[in-house]
Amino acid sequence: MKDEAIYRRLFRTALLIRLVEERIIELYPSDKIQSPVHLSIGQEAVAVGVCDGLQPDDLVFATYRSHGFYIAKGGSLDAMFAELYGRKGGVSGGKAGSMHLAAPEVGLMGSSAVVASTIPHAVGAALSFKRRGASQIAVAVFGDGATEEGVYHESLNFAALMKVPVLFLCEDNGLAVHSHRPVRQSYRLAEHAASFGIASRRLEEGWDMLAIRQATLEAAARVRAGEPFVLEIVTSRYKEHVGVGEDFHFNYRSSDSVDAWKRRDPLIVDQKLAAALRPDIEREIEAAVAFAEASPAPGHAELLTDVI
Amino acid sequence: MSIAAVKPAQGTRVLSYAGALLETMDAALADHANVFIMGQGVDDFKGIFGSTTGLAEKYGAARVFDVPLMEEGMTGVAIGASLVGDYPITTHIRADFSFLAMNQIINLASKYRYMFGGLMRCPMLIRIVVGRSWGQGAQHSQSPQATFAHYPGLTVIMPSSSQAILDMYPAIINRHPGPVISIEHRLLYNLDFTVAPSEKRVPLTSYVARKGSDVTVVATSVMVLEALRAAQYVEDQTGISAEVIDLNSISHPDWNLVTASVARTGRLVVADTSWLEYGVAAEVCRQLVMRDPGLLRQPPTMLGMAPAPCPTAKSLEDIYYPSQHETVDAILTQVKGDKHGIALPVERSMTEGYKRFRGPF
Ligand SMILES: Cc1ncc(C[n+]2csc(CCOP(=O)(O)OP(=O)(O)O)c2C)c(N)n1
Ligand SMILES: [Mg+2]
Repeated sequence: MKDEAIYRRLFRTALLIRLVEERIIELYPSDKIQSPVHLSIGQEAVAVGVCDGLQPDDLVFATYRSHGFYIAKGGSLDAMFAELYGRKGGVSGGKAGSMHLAAPEVGLMGSSAVVASTIPHAVGAALSFKRRGASQIAVAVFGDGATEEGVYHESLNFAALMKVPVLFLCEDNGLAVHSHRPVRQSYRLAEHAASFGIASRRLEEGWDMLAIRQATLEAAARVRAGEPFVLEIVTSRYKEHVGVGEDFHFNYRSSDSVDAWKRRDPLIVDQKLAAALRPDIEREIEAAVAFAEASPAPGHAELLTDVI
Repeated sequence: MSIAAVKPAQGTRVLSYAGALLETMDAALADHANVFIMGQGVDDFKGIFGSTTGLAEKYGAARVFDVPLMEEGMTGVAIGASLVGDYPITTHIRADFSFLAMNQIINLASKYRYMFGGLMRCPMLIRIVVGRSWGQGAQHSQSPQATFAHYPGLTVIMPSSSQAILDMYPAIINRHPGPVISIEHRLLYNLDFTVAPSEKRVPLTSYVARKGSDVTVVATSVMVLEALRAAQYVEDQTGISAEVIDLNSISHPDWNLVTASVARTGRLVVADTSWLEYGVAAEVCRQLVMRDPGLLRQPPTMLGMAPAPCPTAKSLEDIYYPSQHETVDAILTQVKGDKHGIALPVERSMTEGYKRFRGPF
């Protein structure tokens, strides 16, 4: 029963993310959103399960694919749509767009479009937490491809040496743009982490929000006690790497694995709950879209502010 | 109006920028067994915006291959292969990602020949693409010609047309003695240009893209097209004749060409794709002033990105980059003063124009 209530809460946030992104897909041809979008459709459970397993003051450092984390961390929907529209009411006044969502007031500490570049930021925040004796933890969110960059290895090494409270969270969708993981990686993340003395876990059931939440709670407890941890969650990107379409017709991947994933995707399987929650969520989204539409565009007065 | 110094006569054809890149990449692989291409996505169906599509199939995975996310490592690998006689071509789909390879490019590649007194050489071609428009934002839009050209040992070019690619790439690949950074522009990729067989004997230099007598416009990359359009508009409206110089070779321009032009016109506009501060615009002025501080009849006009990171919102992006308006206004202001009173073109944003742009140059 308790689980049931948690499931409903997680499900609602995941459905909100999906419907937000489906709304973005609808709006996109109108050219109202003139910003590259990296959709998280298929991967919502990760953001939702992880953020629910964190404390509100734990900090998340994210990537260009962060609509999900922004919403799951509690970022304002109005400010998000206005940001995508490039309006003054946007969370960053239109200067960020989809790729650089941030909401420090709820612990989303920015997202970067340079792969792997925010991983050491999480380590740095964790270093500060440790120095101050704070009970917060920092979470570095990144894709499987990001682990190939040198800075990932440097970050793990430093985090292990300094024993800082950082959770390395890998969203493994098996793809970096159109390249499959086996042609890019000769290592396994767990073994690699172990070579630094960092414990890890790989969760194959990346559609299961409760399992992800539980794994995060357990990992976060260890991290809070002062050891870095690598949590790898297998997931599935339904849409193209960037943009609002599908990409199966390019034949670089088959739709089979995505179809198999969809058969387990609670947002698709649990039609009844989705139908029950949908009207309320849609109202919320329409209000956010209306807010964005009404928000004025930035101009000369804003161009050169916040530079230094 | 021709973008090439040599007027294309017979034997011309229409070729897109991406098409010219693909042709030169193909020819490099066909002509030189030691050439290979590596970069993220070079072998996928998008093929770096169509500039490497099909080459992996044609030449095999040993010659054209995808790499993990490893910008610094890849560049170091390229240096190593080059040191033992291969000619690597590497790609970054955004110039911004080459910043992860700065250590290898600047501390190693640019220095190897000199630092070892000529014992070592690492010729290679690094292709990087500048993004612009559709909310590329702060990290997908940078244009680092000034950064790279600052370092002795690097050769930096900015091809502004298909002809520039056909002229320069075959002369660079396996022939140029050192590392070359070619800064390509995403907005140019889908444009068609009229090209002629290359006749340039010294392609890595600057050239006159349009002859004129009243004002000199020195431009780079996509701003060359912007300057050519503006010059045409101004001539049509007022008869003012603007000379447009494509700097083309950023690290080694033809300063005599620039100086001679300004000596004739006494008026200067610089139109660059990057920031003005410590950039191409500043260097053009330095070169002129060092030769003859009296060359200019009045202060020059400089067009570049606003001094801020690139904003994502369209309304900000539109005023962040110099528009057709500003380019025309700059030329008119140089010749007639800022109260010129001549109507500016309707089009504000260049990108709008480029969607319809098609030759004849
Ligand atoms: C340093 C850097 N290199 C290359 C790119 C181009 N790029 C953007 S996303 C991406 C793939 C990253 O894959 P992954 O980390 O698995 O994240 P995913 O997109 O799958 O969520 C690449 C190569 C980039 N943005 N930054
Ligand atoms: Mg991935």
